Amino acid sequence: MQLNESTYETIFLLYIDKELSPKERLEVEAFIANNPSYALEMEALQATVISSDNIQYPFKENLKQQGWNATYSTIIKEDLQAIPGLSTPFKNALKKEATTKGIIVKPFGFNQHKFTYAAIAACLMVFLGYQQLTKVPVSNSIAANKKMEVFSSAASPIVETSISNASPKAFAKNNEQIVETKQIVLTEQQAITKLQASNSSKTQRTNFLQQELIAMAEPTPNNGSLNQTVITKLSSNYNNPITINAIASNSIDTETAPEENEPISYEVIDTEDPDRTIFIANFEIDGNKLRGLKRKITSLFKNYKSERNQ
Amino acid sequence: MTDKDYNDCVDNFADGVYRFIVKNIRHTEDAQDIVQSAFEKLWVNREQVLPEKAKSYLFTVAYHQMIDHIRKSNKMPLSEETAIPHQQITQQDAELKQVLMHAVNELNPIQKSLVLLKDYEGYSYQEIGEIMHLSESQVKVYLHRARLILKTKLSAYAPTASKCN
Repeated sequence: MQLNESTYETIFLLYIDKELSPKERLEVEAFIANNPSYALEMEALQATVISSDNIQYPFKENLKQQGWNATYSTIIKEDLQAIPGLSTPFKNALKKEATTKGIIVKPFGFNQHKFTYAAIAACLMVFLGYQQLTKVPVSNSIAANKKMEVFSSAASPIVETSISNASPKAFAKNNEQIVETKQIVLTEQQAITKLQASNSSKTQRTNFLQQELIAMAEPTPNNGSLNQTVITKLSSNYNNPITINAIASNSIDTETAPEENEPISYEVIDTEDPDRTIFIANFEIDGNKLRGLKRKITSLFKNYKSERNQ
Repeated sequence: MTDKDYNDCVDNFADGVYRFIVKNIRHTEDAQDIVQSAFEKLWVNREQVLPEKAKSYLFTVAYHQMIDHIRKSNKMPLSEETAIPHQQITQQDAELKQVLMHAVNELNPIQKSLVLLKDYEGYSYQEIGEIMHLSESQVKVYLHRARLILKTKLSAYAPTASKCN
């Protein structure tokens, strides 16, 4: 700390504000003692310091913990006395007469009972639609379904029966035949696509499919080492299946492979079930279920009309 | 802070806070209201306030409430009771202290609060800065400036006072 003409004022102010250390204070006092001309400056600055007054807060007791409750209770009492509240006649004047006649809301020609039925029907439709959507596993197109089915029906006589009964040697032969059957399936697929494109009647289509399948199935079991097969392939997804039941003369229970080829007979189980599936864009809707729903809805409306006539 | 600590704060600091406020706003009833509000706030927040920080907390709350009060009252014209005419004091009160208080009252609110907090409560620059939300250097500069203004005014009043005596 250097005391001189330029710095003395700041240091004197720090002195009177008691912001200097004891050592610095001694230095200042020594400086003033050595330079009496600065003593007046120090006195003038000391005069700006306000001495403490004996001012006291008059309601100190009210501020204390017990005082708060007492103060608030007295304030509340005073308020209650000063403002007793509204008079009863004034309150009654504020009240309004209760309306005796309620507002009658007329139905918009649509009974709530019927609305409930309609809502249930709508929910049912949504549920069925969702069920149909989630039912189809991979592809929604019927062509894909039919392809898969034809492929399985063509390949299954060889694969399913031969794996379970034939020897490994025969199994190798089966693989070769699978390749052949795949080629056959390709030709079969072409036939099916032709069928779809032709928009022929359903009976014609089923007959044609039978002929095609019989024609395709005839060359396949032409193997001497293989067990003869039982073809019982039905696709659960296909609503209009053509079941070809090829019953071999030799039973599959016999372990020895017959050397002679037996003729295969095919039996058509069901061909009359019409395909009621409706396709909207990429969605497939079961026609039977839709028809049932339609019946339910029409019955609801019929009931409603009958009730209305009564 | 316990209830006992709070009551100790009332005993120890209520006078100081009241003095600080009443010297600033020169209105006893408003000062009492501000003190009451400050202690009410301390009571509400007593669980968060440490006993050693209670004094600083009280002065901080009271100071900011006082600033709000001054801002509100500046919008309204000062009543005749609170306004102290300059001529009246110089003629009636010749004592140096009264002249000093008059000079202090002419300082701006920040300078006035700085002087009062320093002289009445003995706060350090740092503590004053915390209360008034100022930096330590700002406190130092503003306070020194206020001291020099007071010094100039006292030197101007002193001859008048001596003449009156």
